[in-house]
Amino acid sequence: MATRADIEEWLAACTTGDRRAFGELYSATSAKLFGICLRVLDNRAEAEEVLHDVYVKIWHNAGRYQANGLSPMTWLITIARNAAVDRLRKRRSPRASMEQAEARPDPAPGPEAQVIAASEGERLSACFDELDEGHAQAVRGAYLDGETYADLATRFDVPLNTMRTWLRRSLLKLKECLSR
Amino acid sequence: MSDELPDRDADKALAGEYALGLLPSEEAAAFEQRLVTEPELRALYAEWCEDLAALTDRIDPVAPPPRLQGQVEGALFGAPGGTSGGMGWIGVLLGGLAAAALALGLIFGADLLQRGPQAPSDPAYVAEVAAEDGSLVVAAAYDADAGELFVDRREGGPREGRALELWLIAGEDAPVSLGVLPGDAQAALAVPQDLRPQLEGGVLAISDEPPGGSPTGAPTGDVLAVGPITNT
Repeated sequence: MATRADIEEWLAACTTGDRRAFGELYSATSAKLFGICLRVLDNRAEAEEVLHDVYVKIWHNAGRYQANGLSPMTWLITIARNAAVDRLRKRRSPRASMEQAEARPDPAPGPEAQVIAASEGERLSACFDELDEGHAQAVRGAYLDGETYADLATRFDVPLNTMRTWLRRSLLKLKECLSR
Repeated sequence: MSDELPDRDADKALAGEYALGLLPSEEAAAFEQRLVTEPELRALYAEWCEDLAALTDRIDPVAPPPRLQGQVEGALFGAPGGTSGGMGWIGVLLGGLAAAALALGLIFGADLLQRGPQAPSDPAYVAEVAAEDGSLVVAAAYDADAGELFVDRREGGPREGRALELWLIAGEDAPVSLGVLPGDAQAALAVPQDLRPQLEGGVLAISDEPPGGSPTGAPTGDVLAVGPITNT
């Protein structure tokens, strides 16, 4: 299991063109990032393409890692999650505009949401529990399913501005709980 | 959008919305603009990234297909060796030359590093001070322990018979000189005690000045390059 120091060392070495360090970084982190791409995209071929682009990005931007104040794993996860969500939204957008009348998925929590509490980061999970269930789902949906305010407003059947006010308040509640 | 939240809370929520990718594109662009100059906002955004990344804790790792690593490395470093057939010996020769050049570079590089000022290994702040067209690029890294700003001029130099002067601009304050960049590409400039706290969130700029620097204490020539100072 690679430590934070290992990952930082590999990233630093990447900035000097060290391919071997890049190989080590890839071996140690690609399964985690691929899992995330698969979870967001639910499509193997797309997840592979995104993972490819993610590591190209990591190599080219390794020098920017130091400047952003994130832990190295968070930096990698954020790049992978954002790339996967971008891809997902590109895939969705033509359909979303053409089929706006299409029924949205049932907002009731699926089996996945129900087991979340068991395995998620404990602190975060406890704080999600303090939110209304719908609000917690909205934050998760935005992060892991790339849902936009428009998606969420439709899903929860509220006006877009209401959705945004809700979500902003939920974020503050979450933050307040996390900083306790 | 304001829903009667105090400023600090509004920014907290805004940073979360940005981290989730929920902001409409104009608002996201405005937020990114603020990130450049507002360290507090950067800290809020970083916190959200850390917190939200925990949502992936429960996602099980899945090994990608083994060929993918080769494809990534092929895209980054060119085709893997051994499959190019026809130009085998040329490849070997070129490889040898490249290795020799690299070895020389390492020797000279190491030698230079030992004699000249050294980049801090753990800088508190960094900045890339660059001209819009890339004709002048200076990387800066601040060593908080030594109170020194290490500068590395990577592109360009002073105009004929002129000098380059480095300035710190903190908030709305007038630029304060950090000194004239010496002839060597790499140098360490001592940052006066009273200026050190102003580095955070500040901006570095380089102006064209007469030899020895501005006679007035304020930039007199063209401003050639600027770059925001960022936390590491």
